[in-house]
Amino acid sequence: MTGTRLSPEAADPDLPSSEPAGARGSSGSTGAGRTSGGAGARRVLGEDAVAHVRARSGGPLRLGAGVAAPAGMLRLTRPDSTGQALPVWPDAATPSLLDEYQVSPVPVERSGETRRVLAATLKCCWSDLSVDPWPGTPAPAELILDTYRALIGRADDLMRNWAIGALRRLHDSAWIVMSDGVVSLGPRCALWPVESHAQLKELVRRIPTPEQRDLTVVADADIVAAATQVPHGLQEPPTAEQPSAAQGPLVVQQPSAVEGPPTAQQPPEVQATPAAQGPLVVQPPSPEAQEPPSAQQPSEARVRAQNPTTATAVAGRVEGGAAEFDELLSGYDERRRAELVAAFMAVEHGAEPVLEARFGGLRDPALRHTLAEMLARRGRTLIQHRERWTSGYDDAYRTDPAPPTTPGAGAPAATGLGESERAVLTLVLVHSVAIPRAEGLLPDDTWLSPHPTPVDELRRHTQLPIGELEAALRVLRHAGLLTQVKAGEEAGGYAPGPQFHRLTPAARRRLQEELILAAGPHSPLATAVRARRSAG
Amino acid sequence: MRSRTLEPVSEQPLTLDAALSEEAVLSTYRRMFAALARDSGAVVDDPALVDIAETLFAAFAEAGEEWLTHEQMRFACRAYPGDQFDNRLRVLKGLGAIREVFPKPNQLRYRASFTSVVGLMFIRRMMDDGGQSEMHRLLALEDLNVADPRTTMEEARQSAANLARAFRLWALELITLTMGTIEELREQAPKLWGTEEIARRAQGLHGTILTRWPALDRVCTDLRAAIYAYSDASRRAAGRLADSAGTTRNLTLLPTETWRTFSQTASRERLAAVLDGFVFDAPAPWHDPAAIARAVDEAPRPAPAQPTPPRSTLADAGPEGSLDSAPNAAMERLTEVAESLLGASSRVALADVLRSDWPSARRLLADLTTVDLRPELPYRLVWADDLTISPGGEPAWLSHGYLERTS
Repeated sequence: MTGTRLSPEAADPDLPSSEPAGARGSSGSTGAGRTSGGAGARRVLGEDAVAHVRARSGGPLRLGAGVAAPAGMLRLTRPDSTGQALPVWPDAATPSLLDEYQVSPVPVERSGETRRVLAATLKCCWSDLSVDPWPGTPAPAELILDTYRALIGRADDLMRNWAIGALRRLHDSAWIVMSDGVVSLGPRCALWPVESHAQLKELVRRIPTPEQRDLTVVADADIVAAATQVPHGLQEPPTAEQPSAAQGPLVVQQPSAVEGPPTAQQPPEVQATPAAQGPLVVQPPSPEAQEPPSAQQPSEARVRAQNPTTATAVAGRVEGGAAEFDELLSGYDERRRAELVAAFMAVEHGAEPVLEARFGGLRDPALRHTLAEMLARRGRTLIQHRERWTSGYDDAYRTDPAPPTTPGAGAPAATGLGESERAVLTLVLVHSVAIPRAEGLLPDDTWLSPHPTPVDELRRHTQLPIGELEAALRVLRHAGLLTQVKAGEEAGGYAPGPQFHRLTPAARRRLQEELILAAGPHSPLATAVRARRSAG
Repeated sequence: MRSRTLEPVSEQPLTLDAALSEEAVLSTYRRMFAALARDSGAVVDDPALVDIAETLFAAFAEAGEEWLTHEQMRFACRAYPGDQFDNRLRVLKGLGAIREVFPKPNQLRYRASFTSVVGLMFIRRMMDDGGQSEMHRLLALEDLNVADPRTTMEEARQSAANLARAFRLWALELITLTMGTIEELREQAPKLWGTEEIARRAQGLHGTILTRWPALDRVCTDLRAAIYAYSDASRRAAGRLADSAGTTRNLTLLPTETWRTFSQTASRERLAAVLDGFVFDAPAPWHDPAAIARAVDEAPRPAPAQPTPPRSTLADAGPEGSLDSAPNAAMERLTEVAESLLGASSRVALADVLRSDWPSARRLLADLTTVDLRPELPYRLVWADDLTISPGGEPAWLSHGYLERTS
């Protein structure tokens, strides 16, 4: 691997990576707004980058009828041509690539149980194994619980509670959609690579079918039919930031919900509105994708119509997004390209910052430059912690915290977290970072901390109602914003989670200033902070 | 009086930090009494000495009209070394802080001076916040004074001039610190810089004086300038600290109590507002098909119904009764085996007792090993290093060993 470092081309400044992004990016209709390339001090993210930031921070994006998915995203189209968009990864990689590099991904809470429940859902919802799992057919939640029970051979209340917890977590992360006791597969299921479908099929065949309950008052099909009386589009999963989105308006025009720069936000696609397309018509790929489909976009090949015979199914189809990184990656040979993709996946999805020495894409400055370009197109930026790297949101995104303008989006602040979650997170930051730092116990510039906040402190000495606190802790834990530290009977607590590796230096500084402004608004420090802000 | 002063001070480990803070305390004492001191050596050189005084005053307060004898005073200060106590008592008596109850010779009982106690309280407070709260109190008092109809213009002028002087000196100290080393600034500045409230209060006072005695506008201009200079110096000190501290030290500049108060009293909205505008990732764990399959494979399996082994159709009582169930039957059998081998002798070579067929030799060896391992049986096996190998014989090789009687 050291060969890359020493190779003369790698150090060559005329490497394809240094080719200006605009050279080919401008050919696409959406390319123009991608990156401003540092024009002026106040950078503005392109609309695709903003869309990616929103998808990462808030879950799958909703698309209005006929609105094309941003580059680098899959479009899950419903019969009424509205849809959802969610990011795919370059060169058909999935986060399981991290295993090959022994990088641990963000830990999944109760992973075994969650995955078994997902398997049970797949068993119930993937009715026609000859087509893709997504969208499948909805199934009553009880049937899934029965299937899960048959799978693990336990029928006690504890098991049931755990399984319901797993369903809720799967719902929150858009792997399933659960509403009114009916469950269907969520958008993320469309991300499973086609090659792995055989394995999933085999798995579904292995899972035992539960014995039918004797006293079935209402047939499963009736439950589903009753629940699906509402238009199909309503079955979409609420994104993490909008738990009540199912009651919200059906069509949220994605770009207007974006909290981005107020100007140049109206993409041409909104006006185009090819609403005349029937549900079975494959949408033509967007202009950029008209280049010959390359190996790294197999999802394009998966564009297909749903089997029309599955009448009760929530129909839908998967449309590959426009290739996003092609012009950046095409100049590299296979090996470098693979290194870049590996580094991309590692910084984007590893739980902790990854060692520079282990990834060619990070070691080599030229490759790292390209990697930074790739990340920039998704509104991300590289963050260095000594000899380790991770990625975080570009500061340009949050410097424009435009107030939510679309009432339909109902978006809270850019965090994607509810008020009580943010409050609890602040409390943990105060106890785990600010106080230890005030006492001189935490010297480094980090928001991670070896000092957990005792649960008791949160329960007894704050203004938050306990029910709200527990719910917020659950959400924060699930999102990797808090880590539960278990130590003995009572010493345990919560510490800031791995997501805090991903704060840029500017964000770390801002977080500190916000805390000072909130805790000591009349202190001279706060005055200094305010003075500097108004000056700069 | 605080009871914590009764704790032994000398038990604290003398770390560098402790030494530094002691030095800071002493310098406060020196500064406070600089105006009164006869020479520079007059102020105590060990903070524990002040603690002795405080302990003494607490003891006096508790004793009430009983007063205290020398022995009782010594007992109250038992945590401190004797010579330190004597030294303190001599000084306190010399300065009149502790006096005889009645001014007679050979007086055995002592009383404490009220003034000294108040003075000590003042010292402690000055030490805690470097005079900020004194300034608060002073301003509040002056506010009352100038509002009092009996106050004369001359008094108001005096008061304004005094305040202006205090603020100027305060500002100068901050400015010097701001230009000095960052470590010193970090240590001293939070005690010196004012809150907005002090400045506001001073400005209010200034307004009252100016409205009531417009003729004092000169003094008031001075006062105003001093207040502004002070606010500016505060801000500059804070700014320099904030800049130098970067992202690691700034949080240390608010005291722990402020953080605790914030976390305990802030409303949900106020807490949540801190994270307004920050972007975090939504939960998006990846469930790889292989991982799902693995999770299913690792599922706690339902305990399979154990298939009953096939049974003969004939009636079968089973093996019940075929085993000797007497509790020490096994022991008896082993003793029997050992005795039959040993006979009358106390030691027998294994080579002699093992028969040539391996199955019975094996059984016997197993029995003998059991015998050896049973401490309650009076036999043991002793192994030697020799080994006999006879390729044709059975057993083909044999370690030499003996069965011995142990009792």
